[in-house]
Amino acid sequence: MNEDTLYIEQFLEGKEAGFEILVRKYQDRVLNIVYSLIGKDRESEDIAQEVFLKVYQGLKFFKKHSQFSTWLYRITVNTTYGFLRKRGRFVRDEGAIEGGAAAGEGPRGTLLIKERAAMLRAALEKVPVKFRAAMVLKDIEGLSYSEIAKILRCSIGTVESKIYRARQFLKAELVKEGGEAI
Amino acid sequence: MKECAKVKRMLSRYLDKELKDSESAMIDAHLTGCSVCKKELSELSLVKKLVSGIERKTLPQDYLVSRLREQIADEKKHAKGFPLVGIGSLARRLIPVPAFAIIAVTLFLVINSMRGVSENSLEDNMLNGNTVTAEMALGVILGAQN
Repeated sequence: MNEDTLYIEQFLEGKEAGFEILVRKYQDRVLNIVYSLIGKDRESEDIAQEVFLKVYQGLKFFKKHSQFSTWLYRITVNTTYGFLRKRGRFVRDEGAIEGGAAAGEGPRGTLLIKERAAMLRAALEKVPVKFRAAMVLKDIEGLSYSEIAKILRCSIGTVESKIYRARQFLKAELVKEGGEAI
Repeated sequence: MKECAKVKRMLSRYLDKELKDSESAMIDAHLTGCSVCKKELSELSLVKKLVSGIERKTLPQDYLVSRLREQIADEKKHAKGFPLVGIGSLARRLIPVPAFAIIAVTLFLVINSMRGVSENSLEDNMLNGNTVTAEMALGVILGAQN
């Protein structure tokens, strides 16, 4: 029995602490996936909260032979997709880009790093979400293609194609936005 | 050229170490003699490095836990005030089923009772030589279906 299953068992026995340990363990990972897909701080936090609320309500239906993290990431991606669908389309939020052009203080090196980070975020936001999700799960979360396939409910071949296209897209965007980062 | 197209399609998987050993060896061999694919690999590798190194956001340890505690407590309180909220979405979806069943049974009983009245009225009226209304005839037709 892995650690997560143990916490789930505790929660199902009525100990809320089991659920809270899972929240603390995964909150940053969930937040970073959401943020990479929507690019908004405040809303990312709200979506992360919604994800864990769904987990809280759905843990009694969770199949113990499955991997908790796979199930959690699937909820995360689907909840974020739901948010994007409601919003109609992906809206770029300049204010959400870390550092941004407003970073006018500090040594020139720090400014350059911030500018590059902002450029990367901006370029990332232009990658279509359906490709971006696979790339984020691979490059930010470090998941395997087979785990990503389970989360996105598609074949490994589709995952491969999505990641390849996302990288191509991002490369083109970075070149277009100045090319310094690449 | 044909091989380049095949290799390019596999470069992401190569980079992510998701290829079989034999496939990786094939890519290695191709890359030694193809500067175009080599350049493509180096660019993809840089993109991967950039995304992997993106600054991670972190939340204070109990930030979400306290927000969730509040939300869950609110929902539980709300569920007490509105018992239907607490019975689960499946049950809520099933509520219309008994409602429809009640309507169907009521309709059946009304029609059945109408049938008795209409049949009698129709027969009585016919025997008495009175006018037979459409309503009476309808009652007989509905009755005839059972």
